[in-house]
Amino acid sequence: MSGGINFARVDKTHHRPHTGEAETILRDFSLEVLPGELVAVVGPSGIGKTTLLHLAAGLDAPDRGTIRVGDGAREPRIGMVFQQPRLLDWLKVAENVAIATDAAGVGRAQGARMLASVELASYAEAYPLALSGGQRQRVALARAFAIEPDVVLLDEPFSALDELTARRLRGLLQDLWLKHAPTGLLVTHNTLEAAFLADRIVVLGCRPARIEKIIEVGEARPRSPEDPALFEIHREIIAGLV
Amino acid sequence: MTDVPMMRAATPRRRQMPLARAVRAVLPPLAFCLVVIVAWEVMARVLASPLVPDVAEVYGELLRIVPTGAALQQIGVTLGRILSGSVLAFAVAVGLGIAIARNRLLAAFFEPGIILGLTVPGLVWALLCVIWFGVSWKTPVVAIGLGVAPALTVSVVQGVRAIDPDLIEMAHVFRIPRSAQLRRLWLPAMVPFLLSGARLGFSLAWKVIVLVEIFGLSSGVGYQLNSEFSSQNVAGVLAWTIAFGVVMAIIEYGMLQTLERRLTRWRRVSRV
Repeated sequence: MSGGINFARVDKTHHRPHTGEAETILRDFSLEVLPGELVAVVGPSGIGKTTLLHLAAGLDAPDRGTIRVGDGAREPRIGMVFQQPRLLDWLKVAENVAIATDAAGVGRAQGARMLASVELASYAEAYPLALSGGQRQRVALARAFAIEPDVVLLDEPFSALDELTARRLRGLLQDLWLKHAPTGLLVTHNTLEAAFLADRIVVLGCRPARIEKIIEVGEARPRSPEDPALFEIHREIIAGLV
Repeated sequence: MTDVPMMRAATPRRRQMPLARAVRAVLPPLAFCLVVIVAWEVMARVLASPLVPDVAEVYGELLRIVPTGAALQQIGVTLGRILSGSVLAFAVAVGLGIAIARNRLLAAFFEPGIILGLTVPGLVWALLCVIWFGVSWKTPVVAIGLGVAPALTVSVVQGVRAIDPDLIEMAHVFRIPRSAQLRRLWLPAMVPFLLSGARLGFSLAWKVIVLVEIFGLSSGVGYQLNSEFSSQNVAGVLAWTIAFGVVMAIIEYGMLQTLERRLTRWRRVSRV
């Protein structure tokens, strides 16, 4: 099993770039994501959702408290899918995946398999600029899962796509999750997306960020985006946000 | 009134034949050379001075130095020196440029050195290196290194600062080792800046090496220029300059532009 993510009594303060004014984002914040669980974090803009992802990814350090990612036995393999695909445009699709698998010590064959999983095997030798936005984001998904990740962090991964493409990619992500079962933290503004993908939804509010509500999504996978139960959860999240 | 279907045949996009493309690429620079030659000839006839030889005289000098292989041999010597010095300058500039772009303290520390390096004329480096190293391979290499590295460093710093920080963040999350980041992310992202730096570097190196060869060496284009100058052969000076200019043009059009097209071919893929 992959090991979870644990935020224990974390404080984090940001300084505004122009004024230098300190702003406390997290104070005494705790959250545990269990191994193999996918937790979605929703809340108003600027509440600190992305800060949580950055802390988990090691892009930022807490002022106080501890963050544990993985099982502690070895350095965790972290895959991340960003709002934009963040591909290296001068490398072919296969090389974009290979740069991550090489770093993780995973064979390149795994990258090829993952490209096939996201239905892009025939684009392996193409440059990213020849791909559509949805295809590029599929490459980003393949890159995140090709490293056999312990943890996958998702930062509004489909928000830059049109709804039809986003819907298809959510289905693809669900399939990947069923197959690989890493631990996951998803930040999204889309409450239906949270309900469709997550095992648990954490609703953040106030400032510094506080957990207002935790919603368990009991629906079995694979889920359908048309499932009425998900709309019920969506309404419950909205009620927690307003 | 009858309905006229609002349909129009799609205009086929005219595709240029390779020959037409080549002609379009070659014609403007050739026209420029022709204009310069004609203008020079007019000037030479109007002035009628031994200090401004006509085109036929310069051509005669070219025939004297090119077919015998003397020009090629001397240009080869000079180019070898330029290349050695440029390699040194490039290595220093890439290391220093990346460090400066990433670290404000280092930037503040090296800033006076770079400004000094940019303002000191190549003549000073040439003289100092001839004094320090005498007739040695070190003289041109160090002089070119000192003359070119500051400008190249500035190009590298600009290149590093232009790298998308989101990509660096991605590389950090995926724990991509620094060596792989340098090869697969940093250097390719900096290609336009490195190529413009290489062009600038070559032109600066040429100016430095000529001085070094005039003052301290007994071979190379600079030495030949000095010899022609000593015998007051203006046509000879022009012939050597033209011969070297042609080689530099071959390097620009044949090598640098080909390299640039190859390294940036990913930009020319059709977008979906």
